[in-house]
Amino acid sequence: MRNAYLDQFPDEARVIKAAFWSSFIALAIGGVLGLVQALHRTDVFRFIQSPDYYTVLTAHGVLLVIVFTIFFLVGTFTWAVTTSLDRGVVDTRFTWAWYIMMVIGAALAGITIFSGFLESAPSILGSELNADVLFTFYAPLEAHPFFYIGLVVFVVGSWLAGVDWFRTWLAWRRENPDERIPLPTFMVLTTTLFWYICTLGVSLSILVFLLPWSLGITESVNPLLTRTMFWYFGHAVVYFWLMPAYLMWYTMLPKFSGGKLFSDPLARVVFVLFLLLSTPLGIHHQYLDPGIAEGYKFIAMTNTMFLLLPSLLTAFTVVASMEHGARQRGGEGYLGWLKALPWRDPIFTGMALAGLMFAAAGFSGMINAGMNINYLVHNTWWVVGHFHLTVGTAVALTFMAASYWFIPQLTGKELWNRSVALGQVVLWFIGMTFMTNAMHRSGLFGLPRRTAEPQYQGFDFEPAVGTVGEINMQVALGAVILTLSLALFLLNMVMTSIGSNSESIPDNTYADTLSGAEDSPRILDNLKLWTAIAVVLVIIAYTLPLASIIDAGGLFGPDIEGFRLSTWVDPAVIESLSEVIR
Amino acid sequence: MRISKGALLVVVAFLVPFVVEFRTALSWFGIKLSILESLALGGVLVIGLLLWAVWPEDGNGGTGAAGSS
Repeated sequence: MRNAYLDQFPDEARVIKAAFWSSFIALAIGGVLGLVQALHRTDVFRFIQSPDYYTVLTAHGVLLVIVFTIFFLVGTFTWAVTTSLDRGVVDTRFTWAWYIMMVIGAALAGITIFSGFLESAPSILGSELNADVLFTFYAPLEAHPFFYIGLVVFVVGSWLAGVDWFRTWLAWRRENPDERIPLPTFMVLTTTLFWYICTLGVSLSILVFLLPWSLGITESVNPLLTRTMFWYFGHAVVYFWLMPAYLMWYTMLPKFSGGKLFSDPLARVVFVLFLLLSTPLGIHHQYLDPGIAEGYKFIAMTNTMFLLLPSLLTAFTVVASMEHGARQRGGEGYLGWLKALPWRDPIFTGMALAGLMFAAAGFSGMINAGMNINYLVHNTWWVVGHFHLTVGTAVALTFMAASYWFIPQLTGKELWNRSVALGQVVLWFIGMTFMTNAMHRSGLFGLPRRTAEPQYQGFDFEPAVGTVGEINMQVALGAVILTLSLALFLLNMVMTSIGSNSESIPDNTYADTLSGAEDSPRILDNLKLWTAIAVVLVIIAYTLPLASIIDAGGLFGPDIEGFRLSTWVDPAVIESLSEVIR
Repeated sequence: MRISKGALLVVVAFLVPFVVEFRTALSWFGIKLSILESLALGGVLVIGLLLWAVWPEDGNGGTGAAGSS
């Protein structure tokens, strides 16, 4: 008898399927816009005006790094909680409610962005409907209020999704008071906790500053304050995208390799470290911001370097699990076991290649994290290359590979074509190699990011190897291959979904462990303790920088009186504390 | 075959970053490959890899661990 997820949890399967299709739609639109951007910027093929490039860039960023990733995340996490607790959510009406809320939020923000393409956008609430503010939507760029409202509704929807997972876990705990939290649920809960902590910053930024400003209620904002509050959220969101991929690498990849997870306790330690360290380091995105003292930046850099630890632990644990699987399949030798891995399986191969690209992303990330080296690459295409390796490959390729597992589980239909799926994940790897290599290299000679016209008049960039033309062609070629890969992925998803039911869908299970939860100290499951420490770390990392920024520039800008921090705190105290940090 | 078709496909894919980065690395030693030369190098490596993969491991057509992958 078939025992797919659809058979176990038919109601939840419908919501998860809806969330995945929402993410696929965002991926399709955002991906095509990526091709438009690449062809325009490299001057290979231009059919939009350069001012529209920024509308394309905003849509590409928001649709892919917010909508695609988070819709996929909520689907994956709902699957993980229900599968590992072996019970459904408490009330599927609540689950549908947060999903619909996220759809409304995404639609509102999306419509506002796409209105930027209209020759004369409609005027609503006293301003033109557009939002050419890029994914990093801090001031001084200003969007229409609907954009901010859409984002808030979307984020609140994701908060309620977290409430749903916690409710389900608490219900399970009442039935199983002495049981350890199953690993997939543990991963979901710790990730949700740091999501609550980090989104508090961006929500305050929107609700207190950006939205009133765009509505004309307040006269101005302090741009450095909104930037800092954005990056308070902006780096943790990277880990929010990444954690579902980690969840799949820990709980599914060992199974697809033919073995077991090497260590459940190590996996728990990794997720606790992400809960603790994801948020108090956002200032490392602001090394070039002149209004923040170097001492605060140094603290952010130190925290960032600590975050390498869970990533390295993950590399060790996941590779050890894959080796265990390969040896179960007859693999031998120091490296000969690699041949015994299931390379014909698109799910395994996609996730393995994504993990490998993430290692490369880690190396370029270390360059970004170092204060002195960051100055060289900060505003260049290097950074774009870096995050196309992280969110664009480690996350997106893992999600696509995981979809080859999820969609049959959720529909009861076999994957349409496994060979096409294998070709698709390999093409993504090749396309991203071409594109990100060129982006990183061009960053080294200073080619700027976030511009439709990177080639200045009367100035020639000097690459260490090859020419700027070669770099551009490499980016364009990579983008074309990626688009082809994306089309194959979507084709496979559509054809699978309209296929006929199959009885040969594998059982809905996740990887067993070599060393299980019983080998880990119970304190690892103490979520209150880790959350409290995470909050303390955030307070330590952000109190003085924020106080300093507000003291220097006011809450709403330097010329707006009445809101300056000095009305509450003696400036001498702030100054002396700042001296200590400097 | 020495390795499965799936593994062979992945190894061929791995040649892309290898050739692209190898070209950059060679330039540090003053050896500058043009795009055509890089493509030729890639082609030679792919052919060499294919020959290695399909060449019988023991002269009797043994396939080693490839069958299960």
